[in-house]
Amino acid sequence: MQLPAPVMNPARSRLPGLQNADGGWGVLPEGPSATEPTALAAMALRDAEDPVAARSGARGLDWLEERQRSDGAWPASDQVPMGSWMTSLAVLALADSRRDRARAVKGAGWLLDQEGRPVSLVTRLFFFIFPRYNVIDLDLELKGWPWYENTFGWVEPTACALIALKKLRGQLPEPSARSRIEEGERLILDRVCEGGGWNYGNSRVYDEELWPYPDTTALALLALQDRPDLPTVRSSLDVLDRLVARNQSLLATSLAILCARVYGRPVEAYSRRIVERLETAPPWIDVRALALAALALREDPAPLALDHA
Amino acid sequence: MLVALPGCGRNEERWQRSAFAKPATSRTAVLAAEGYGQGLDEAVRRGVELFDLPLRGRRVVLKPNFVEFDPDGVINTHPAVVAAAIETFRSLDADVVVAEGPGHRRDNEYLLTATGIGDVLRDTGTPFVDLNNDAVRRVSLRSSYTGMKALYLPETVMSADLFVSLPKMKTHHWAGVTLSMKNLFGIVPGSIYGWPKNLLHWAGIRESILDINAALPMRRFNIVDGIVGMEGNGPIQGEPVPSGVLVFGEDPVAVDATAARLMDIDPHKVSYLEEAGRFLGNLETERIVAIGEDPDRHRRDYRVLPRFTGIKANSRATAG
Repeated sequence: MQLPAPVMNPARSRLPGLQNADGGWGVLPEGPSATEPTALAAMALRDAEDPVAARSGARGLDWLEERQRSDGAWPASDQVPMGSWMTSLAVLALADSRRDRARAVKGAGWLLDQEGRPVSLVTRLFFFIFPRYNVIDLDLELKGWPWYENTFGWVEPTACALIALKKLRGQLPEPSARSRIEEGERLILDRVCEGGGWNYGNSRVYDEELWPYPDTTALALLALQDRPDLPTVRSSLDVLDRLVARNQSLLATSLAILCARVYGRPVEAYSRRIVERLETAPPWIDVRALALAALALREDPAPLALDHA
Repeated sequence: MLVALPGCGRNEERWQRSAFAKPATSRTAVLAAEGYGQGLDEAVRRGVELFDLPLRGRRVVLKPNFVEFDPDGVINTHPAVVAAAIETFRSLDADVVVAEGPGHRRDNEYLLTATGIGDVLRDTGTPFVDLNNDAVRRVSLRSSYTGMKALYLPETVMSADLFVSLPKMKTHHWAGVTLSMKNLFGIVPGSIYGWPKNLLHWAGIRESILDINAALPMRRFNIVDGIVGMEGNGPIQGEPVPSGVLVFGEDPVAVDATAARLMDIDPHKVSYLEEAGRFLGNLETERIVAIGEDPDRHRRDYRVLPRFTGIKANSRATAG
């Protein structure tokens, strides 16, 4: 979808100035480079016509390529060397680039081997015998993907992994890819809040409903973009609109645009809001939000769209 | 969150004896503060000045609690308390930074705007550091309740001359109470360990509170916002309790024990506080010197969830 002429991409032009000397970006300006903001910035700068922006994006991809571990994963940063949930974003950045996809496929292979740690059988048996002690309303057997190795699976890392795996589906081994994707979708659907939308991954605690967040809802919907007819997806798209009306942050609005693009919903009002928001941005706007804004304002189909693979 | 099984081997020492020197006594100050308007700045300044803190030219990190936002709730440290703390420490020539790593939300722009803390930062020109995404250093743990050997912790926190925990006075549906010590979950970087600070829930909430608090070697101070606290299903969905009180002190165990008693909760029955009292600070009333107002004047009966009735001061149950 073409943006109307008045909506430019001021977020993209800011990214090169925030790039670290090593070619990566930190979430916080002047902070150490990290995989998440670098992957998002590289996606936002891909195919930039401005040579400064194009060179900046290429250096970002170099940073990512240099940091891929031998097992295919990416660390969160140079300071934290173990494989990270951010691998999903690096996979997407490299899959979206014009470079050799082998690195992205290897990263996706690492993702296939990662899974959340379900609650133990003993605990599940305990909850079965004494249900009053189970105060959360989750399917405790689902694995999905965790934020951190050997811990429970949650909505955002699962959504990011699903987008990456679906993007590279044709190059991944079957039936494991299908099995992981289907199980990940089940986790996302299990965690939906009453009425639609998602928070970090708990819909109810102690019989009290928890409320959805726009950023998490948008990510979950991006992960389910090839399942548009699911009732949960339809209701959650409406919930997202309501949430973003109340939360006008750069992060929420940018993810809402990315989501609206893949579902063919209008983005113009959100896009104008981003531009206005950038003009009065408070100092704590971080590079991750700025890169997402730049990505959301790209005039070509979103890199997170599966039909763009 | 899912299963917070109590630690085993409760009588076994799980800390490096040489790393901790519990003071013979700890001072805490309870001061009245009727609301978040007029008089609050003075109350906070008075509370801080009761303690002999070296502040001139020192880097002070204020760590409020803003984990989530509900327009109808009282989840977070009130922005007026944050503003009063900024003003107080600055007036004493400290270099002040506000830092937090929200436990539920990744959208700081939203949280800072919605909670009103962003307005405080802007009006006072105070820098903010997102602890979920700060530079980190690997910190070897000095206690072993979780079984973890080390944690990556934010540079902003680890390089502070004085770390000030600014929690809300709340009940907590997994831990019993959340005060100065539990507030430190917010320093654990979500970008590495996830939301809702997932690793810590797997490792055990009680155990994580102890290990994180034991890991910080710098001087500490604590100011508990109990002007309006939260009871019931805290820390998110509980109900407000106007208590009109602030609690000050350097020893986080003594401060939290004092605050718990103000909530009519026996700190000896809160498992992590009882254990912290063995090595991190003072829990017993006879070892806590009240240098402010008479705490008994400010005691309120905070309601707890049924599974935590055992921690109430009048309960016959033992540590939960």
